[in-house]
Amino acid sequence: MWDQRCKIALSGVGFSKVTRSAEIPLAAHALEAVKGAVEDSGLQMSDIDGLATYPELPATGHAMVDGVTIVSVNCMMAMLKLPNLQWHVQVETVNIGGAVQQAVNALLAGVCNYAVVWRAMHNPKGTYQNLPGTHAHGATQFTAPYGFGGPGQGMAVAYTRWLETHNRSREKMATLAVTQRKHTQMNPHAYFYGQPLTREDYLNSRMVAYPFCLYDCDIPVQGAVAVVLTTADRARDLKPRPAYLAGYGQRLKFEVTGRIGSLSSYMEGGRSSSSLTWERSGFSPKDVDVAQVYDGFSASVIYGLESYGFCKEGEALDFIQDGRIELDGDLPLNTFGGSLGTGRIHGLWHIIEGALQASGRAGERQVKDVNVSFVGASAPIVTGTTFIFVREPY
Amino acid sequence: MSDWSQVTRPIPVPNEWTKPFWDAAKRGVLALQRCQACGHFQHPPYATCVNCMAIDLAFEPVRGQGTIYTYTIMYHAGDRRFAPAVPYASIIVELDDAPGALLAGNLMEAPYTEAKVGRRVEVIFEPLNDDITLPQFRLASA
Repeated sequence: MWDQRCKIALSGVGFSKVTRSAEIPLAAHALEAVKGAVEDSGLQMSDIDGLATYPELPATGHAMVDGVTIVSVNCMMAMLKLPNLQWHVQVETVNIGGAVQQAVNALLAGVCNYAVVWRAMHNPKGTYQNLPGTHAHGATQFTAPYGFGGPGQGMAVAYTRWLETHNRSREKMATLAVTQRKHTQMNPHAYFYGQPLTREDYLNSRMVAYPFCLYDCDIPVQGAVAVVLTTADRARDLKPRPAYLAGYGQRLKFEVTGRIGSLSSYMEGGRSSSSLTWERSGFSPKDVDVAQVYDGFSASVIYGLESYGFCKEGEALDFIQDGRIELDGDLPLNTFGGSLGTGRIHGLWHIIEGALQASGRAGERQVKDVNVSFVGASAPIVTGTTFIFVREPY
Repeated sequence: MSDWSQVTRPIPVPNEWTKPFWDAAKRGVLALQRCQACGHFQHPPYATCVNCMAIDLAFEPVRGQGTIYTYTIMYHAGDRRFAPAVPYASIIVELDDAPGALLAGNLMEAPYTEAKVGRRVEVIFEPLNDDITLPQFRLASA
């Protein structure tokens, strides 16, 4: 077990308004979320001495404009003018979960005391994957000429491989989409709050990239979420009940850029990340009371549940049936609605929900008697990170 | 059957790693990068052998027979220039001669509904211009 377990806690959380298109500059959304998280902790801006983010926009073919399409650490420093800032970082290889882990490391190292991590996401005007270049450079020279563009198809081919090698039917995924949308109705910050989804809606929706239909894909939105992380001792003196970090892990495998279609790379990424988390925390999948598993595309949940060890390979679509992932089921899943419910903000919202469930702060959607709360914060293949939060330090 | 006649495909731009692949394709030959130390085939080409860390790599011809490893049917053209062809099958092929090296392609000369994991395919060549010829796949003749 990790000797640093439960020494860091997630304290305050903050949310911006989530809109379909960009009505105001993204920096304003990020600022709203960060101010919300600091206020939720009962802190002042002058207390904040660490900053971390992952600013990437996962759309292609759009200009990166700091403050408008991304919100970098520099942008946040310019807005907040923190008088006591001591540390900051912007990560690249492991998505927003990596930014949280770097903040944890900085807190453990004693180089800052109250770190803010945010994720701000822009929805560009026009086509999200703006691909039609006349020429295909780099890794795309082997994919773009065949009409492969954007992450959707890359994920879709792995899902087809999964469905046909395990002889399963995509119709069973309706349970995930419908259950998560049901959970979304208890999350007022979510994009699809107030808009339920039926099994028929899912089954009749248009195909995007088979086997993905419209409701297998999270909707691009503009919005931001943020958290305050601090040491456990400090967290206990703050306003909200802390969620203690019991362990974390990151994916340790990477395949050559441009290689697509490999289901095994999802599985290896998820196994490497989660095995560290299980080992460091001392828990195993059977100990988990509630789970958040990244769902930018629905099939990521399938790879997550299997590679993290919640069920066997090939069984995830069966595993999620019969009420198991409902709030009162054996493994309540994506209880805030997931990205399919909130809109595409990436994995920090999964981390936030994992912490809220552990600290008993999830309100109407609170799962009963949670102690061990698991988070898989991004697709295991490229950027996977995993976390466990607990209610009681041990 | 998907109508490819109105589709203008992005033209691959070879670089120092990939030029031998495109030179061979222009001659109607499928050639993949192979590690001269351990015999591992890899695609896309890379700087080193990702199997054994050797740096002695060369392109070797492979036979164009393989199976559909996986596929997707595109209904929504992310690249608008592919819109005339939707729905179409983008496939990933594992060649008999190069297990583990996965090649992208389209399923040509057949309805997109014929794409299934495990189905036998063979390479064909589609010239895009004077310099670039694209390896493609069709169902294998029985």
